[in-house]
Amino acid sequence: MVIVLTGRDRRKNPDYFDQHFRLRHEVFVRRRGWALPCANGREIDQYDTDEAIYFFDLNQDNIVRGSIRIAPSETCSLLADYFPHLVETGDPLRAPDIYECTRYIVMPDRKSRDDNRAAKARVIGAMLEWCLRKKLAFLQTVIETKTLASYLELTPLTIPLGLSHPYGGGRRAPGGGECMAIRWPVSPQVLDDVRAYGAHEPRAEAFAGFDSIGRHTPSELLH
Amino acid sequence: MSFQGDEYGKRTLDFVQRLQKLTSYDDICRHVVTELEWFGFTHVSSISLPGPGREATQCILMNTRPREYIDRYIEKNYVVRDPVVTELRRTVNPYSWSDVRARRDLSKSEKAILDEGREFAARDGLTIPIVNLSGSMSLFCPCGLEPNLSERARAALEIIGIYADQALKRAILQGHREEPAHTPLTPREREIMQWVATGKTDEEIGDILSIGATTVTSHVENAKQKLDAFRRTYAVVQALRFGEITL
Repeated sequence: MVIVLTGRDRRKNPDYFDQHFRLRHEVFVRRRGWALPCANGREIDQYDTDEAIYFFDLNQDNIVRGSIRIAPSETCSLLADYFPHLVETGDPLRAPDIYECTRYIVMPDRKSRDDNRAAKARVIGAMLEWCLRKKLAFLQTVIETKTLASYLELTPLTIPLGLSHPYGGGRRAPGGGECMAIRWPVSPQVLDDVRAYGAHEPRAEAFAGFDSIGRHTPSELLH
Repeated sequence: MSFQGDEYGKRTLDFVQRLQKLTSYDDICRHVVTELEWFGFTHVSSISLPGPGREATQCILMNTRPREYIDRYIEKNYVVRDPVVTELRRTVNPYSWSDVRARRDLSKSEKAILDEGREFAARDGLTIPIVNLSGSMSLFCPCGLEPNLSERARAALEIIGIYADQALKRAILQGHREEPAHTPLTPREREIMQWVATGKTDEEIGDILSIGATTVTSHVENAKQKLDAFRRTYAVVQALRFGEITL
């Protein structure tokens, strides 16, 4: 089950938020080695404001097993603050109808391929439903370039905002790699794609079944 | 606030926008080939890596490299020695053929494979590994005589490759969907057919899933009906064709 809380609910629901901050510390600071502000095994940053919206995926025992945070880009945008060079289209990064998502985590209790897909679709689907109701235009985010294929798997409507660029990393600064900015239109079509992804729609890979080489490639392209 | 991209950025974002409007497999291939030409790549192969029991020839999403070259490549089973392929054991980041030559001393037979590529109008090329979280891996490999391998070109080609891979898969999937219609299996039926495909008996599957063997049988019977199959062997084949299960 996915619950939606705002930053204002933090004092009323300390338990969920505490679990969420610990999970973030585990995933981003310990595993990925990102240099983020943290204290007491919790990772909390300047975007954890009252305006931030949190989607928590709870298991049967009310334990947070997945989460995502979104915030209005006008006041809270990692992309505009730290990564404006990632955007090569000239699109505005701050607008009332653009929200930014960060700190995306999915860790279902069972980790089969299908369970992961279902968990991803639950969290992202809930976020899209909320954004649709708010009549937002776009959701934007910074991703590691290597994960672009997985976002495209969720929906082919994923739009790149620029090419990939190196970030962080190097000696004494763990983490780092290549990152890029993407955005999703907030539309029923994207929500459908995400739901279909979670509902175990047949996978394209299973179909790569050509009888002979190049048989399906248009003949004029064969030299 | 944000800087306007150079030609590489603009072209690539434009490529993606136009690609998103295409649905036919042939149009997607043409679009990809035209874009690659701008970078000096004259040929491309796009492959989804074969799982166990699948022939390499069945996993080609798109290919414009010469027929004779590919036939020879398969006949000689180069894939197990080709340094451009074995480099994947070391990295999942994109690399060029010349990177591989520069990174380590190649054996004679490895060099011979690369040299053979030159006879077929490909002096250098890129290998872009594409990893999905659902566990599959694809390669997008453009090549040519004097391709542009600058840093910005590589960044652009990585995005082109990832989008092309996904678009081709979707188009192929759509093509198969339009073939014979079938009723989708339930998650349980799918799970059981997956076990049937590994050769388990109904008793064994029942033990694995902690349900009765007769329940397993009735799930298989339902699946057979949905897949329009009289025998379970054929039901497995159909389930694979429809993408209900994978190997």
